Amino acid sequence: MSSVVLRDLTRRFGSVTAVDRLNLEIESGELVAFLGPSGCGKTTTLRMITGLLLPTSGDILFDNKSIITVPTEKRGAVMVFQKHLLFPTMSVGQNVGFGLKMQGIAKQEIERRVDEMLELVKLPGFAKRRAHELSGGQQQRVALARALVVRPTVLLLDEPLANLDANLRLEMRELIRSIQRELGITTVFVTHDQEEAVMLADRIALMFDGVLQQYDVPHSFYQRPKTVRVAHFFRNDNLLAGVRRGEVIETAVGQLRIDPTHVTQPDGKVLVSVRPEDVQLTPKLGDSNCIEAKVLLQVYMGTHTQIQLDVAGHTWLVHGPAEWHVNVGEMITLQLPQARIWLLPTA
Amino acid sequence: MKKALRWVILIGIVIVSIAPILPQFIWSFSHRWLFPALLPTTWSTEPWEYVMTPSSRVGEGFANSLAIAVVVSIFSILVGLPAARALALHDFRGKSAVEWLLMVPIIVPGIVATMGIHQVFIRLNLTDTFIGVCLVHLIPCIPYMVLVMSSVFANYGTDLEDTARTLGAGPLNVLRYVTLPGILPGLLVATMFTFLISWGQYITTVLIGGGVIITLPMVLFPFISGTNYATAAAVSLIFVAPAVLVLFFTSRQLGRESSVMGGFGRL
Amino acid sequence: MRWLTLMEKLRSPLMVLPAVGVIVILFFGGLLVGLQQSLGYFPAIDSYEVTLRYYQDVLSDPIFFESLWQTFRLALLSTVMSSVLAIALALVLRDTFKGSRFFTFMFQLSIPIPHLVAAAGIVLLVTQSGLLARGAYALGLIAAPRDFPVLVFDRAGIAIQLTYLWKEVPFIGVVVLAVLQGIGPQYEEIARTLGANAWQRFRYVLLPLIMPGVLSTSIIVFAYVFSSYEIPLLLGVRFPTTLPVLAFQNYQDPDLAQRPQAMAMSIILTVIAIVLLIAYKRLAKYTVSR
Repeated sequence: MSSVVLRDLTRRFGSVTAVDRLNLEIESGELVAFLGPSGCGKTTTLRMITGLLLPTSGDILFDNKSIITVPTEKRGAVMVFQKHLLFPTMSVGQNVGFGLKMQGIAKQEIERRVDEMLELVKLPGFAKRRAHELSGGQQQRVALARALVVRPTVLLLDEPLANLDANLRLEMRELIRSIQRELGITTVFVTHDQEEAVMLADRIALMFDGVLQQYDVPHSFYQRPKTVRVAHFFRNDNLLAGVRRGEVIETAVGQLRIDPTHVTQPDGKVLVSVRPEDVQLTPKLGDSNCIEAKVLLQVYMGTHTQIQLDVAGHTWLVHGPAEWHVNVGEMITLQLPQARIWLLPTA
Repeated sequence: MKKALRWVILIGIVIVSIAPILPQFIWSFSHRWLFPALLPTTWSTEPWEYVMTPSSRVGEGFANSLAIAVVVSIFSILVGLPAARALALHDFRGKSAVEWLLMVPIIVPGIVATMGIHQVFIRLNLTDTFIGVCLVHLIPCIPYMVLVMSSVFANYGTDLEDTARTLGAGPLNVLRYVTLPGILPGLLVATMFTFLISWGQYITTVLIGGGVIITLPMVLFPFISGTNYATAAAVSLIFVAPAVLVLFFTSRQLGRESSVMGGFGRL
Repeated sequence: MRWLTLMEKLRSPLMVLPAVGVIVILFFGGLLVGLQQSLGYFPAIDSYEVTLRYYQDVLSDPIFFESLWQTFRLALLSTVMSSVLAIALALVLRDTFKGSRFFTFMFQLSIPIPHLVAAAGIVLLVTQSGLLARGAYALGLIAAPRDFPVLVFDRAGIAIQLTYLWKEVPFIGVVVLAVLQGIGPQYEEIARTLGANAWQRFRYVLLPLIMPGVLSTSIIVFAYVFSSYEIPLLLGVRFPTTLPVLAFQNYQDPDLAQRPQAMAMSIILTVIAIVLLIAYKRLAKYTVSR
């Protein structure tokens, strides 16, 4: 277990900059998600940490020591890939014991640790099976065991849940979380699914176009996104242009009061943002921060209903109770709770 | 260091690849080239002039070789394609027996069956005939066609054909617009192999053709064994020309279409 | 409906029938005639009795065993050396780099070239007055042709093996390249992050993955060299020659009584080839348990 520091890490492929001056600190034992759409540079970063890919410039430190010149096989940064999981020519036990065999560890010791590890990933007695006899979820767990058995300094998971169906995802997610907690291994995983990142990670590094956008605890991406793009990635497109003056925002639909201790944007032009689930649809008389909006569309979502609204020319989404019904074209009143209003910089 | 070693190997590959072929160009224009001269002391176009004469039988051999190889290739496609498809995509009783039957001719020396066939062909009056030679060339060609193409078919699958059928394409249209374009790169390589196998046959042709059907290797052989190297070189180059032409058109598929060459890996 | 199921059932057999028919009639028919004659059933010389005499004759002939050994030795050496070289070169050529397509093309160059042409080229290079000898002379390494080692018409069959190497290395190599492409780099990357060094990655990850393809092409190459006729005839010693050459010499003997012996040799050759194929199939089953 080590801490990992990325310092000005940059990788260019020809004229394309895949990762641009990435600075990041991962604490020992932390579980960090690299999140972003495909092609954002998250897998490239992962590969640079393993050493399979050399950075164009910048540095990588494990426990404050630069490991940039250390070859992959000596770094102890073990990667679990999203496909081509197991060596098809080996049994499950041989797969799990592979790393130990490479270190020249005695056969009996390997067998013991392999059994131990298979126990941990809930596949006891699977050592003799062939890789192809296993289901996708089981293969995934064997791949995890194979990585863990060498006691990696850093565990790197590339879209670990991508090829699993919904139920297996849940199971696997819990397994990864519990094992990671138990062993305290510094872990980085890559995903394009924000929900997955939120549920698993201690901290999330959100990347777009090779640039780190925000590195924070999951909660912050919902309540305190740094930019419109970050908010959008976390499914918040409810924006309203305004001008901040102290505790008041002037907007086209009236004045809004904010909690000045909660927001970070200074006075001047801002974008008001309230998450869909935070907008109140049934204001009581005398509530402040009430605004008028026109209903554009209503979609029944099972557990709730989603309503598309027009708010002073911006399209908003809000969530209402499942049995709620409104007519398209109707004007309704929304209330924006003072403590839930977040201010974003104008783009 | 590693990079330098790689370049040495790569340059070595190029040199070794052309070493047995390139000198034959020079040899074919030589008149007098004795040890230890590194280049001919007297040059001449004599070998080429000789090769062009009817008495050298090079023209005749070329025409025969070409005609036989083309006929054999076409017949191999017609017979081999359906078999390759059935073996790749269907399960049926006796499938593994069929696979064995079609594999054995690749492994068992061609000369063995040819000597037996020779006796039968004598009775059927097929010896010393064009058709007889074509038939005997089919023995190694069909198995290779099936081997390569079943790998191609297995790789191509039936999804696209099924899609086309649900869109209303009849069997012929599926074949024409979906299957054939899909397998064409593989078919090209497979055809190249059958063509070249027929093109290079020596002893089977000698036996069945009985010296009446003369092919290029039969013309070339005595020049080499008779150490008439200048003429041998000229005939060699004529012998090689269509082969290299074929490679030129298929080399991309050879490198790209892993399923094609993969066929040899799945004997 | 019943009609349709019947059609469905007959479809595959009908599709393989033409190919199987041609092969069975020509190849196995030829084999059968050969078998009959090897057992003495030879109406052309009024011989109808079935006997194992010709097999006894062949198997008691030391020339046969010398030829068998020579054939086997040549085939085994050529195959093993071709495979090893092919794997090594395929590993060099698999990376994409500047000019890799050119080098791959050059590597494939010998694939379509007929064996006879290759043999001619090798002769021009390696005889005692060939280009290599002249090069050696120019460099002052030898003083006369007789100082150059005998590589053609030699007992070891160096020229024969060089011809086969030149032809078969690219053939196996191209197959290995195709297999390598299908495998992709990921297995090696996994192994690398798990601490495997370059040799371990090759030995424990790559080699087992390419082995089925190598084995399969090796058996094709082995069979090809095993059944070769014209190359050993052109470049080899008269004695010991290879079995196909020996069998054909017997077959062409004006004395028709020699034919059953030739056929017996052929059948033995066939049996050896089929045993090898079965052994290979077993081996392949054992190695590939995907």
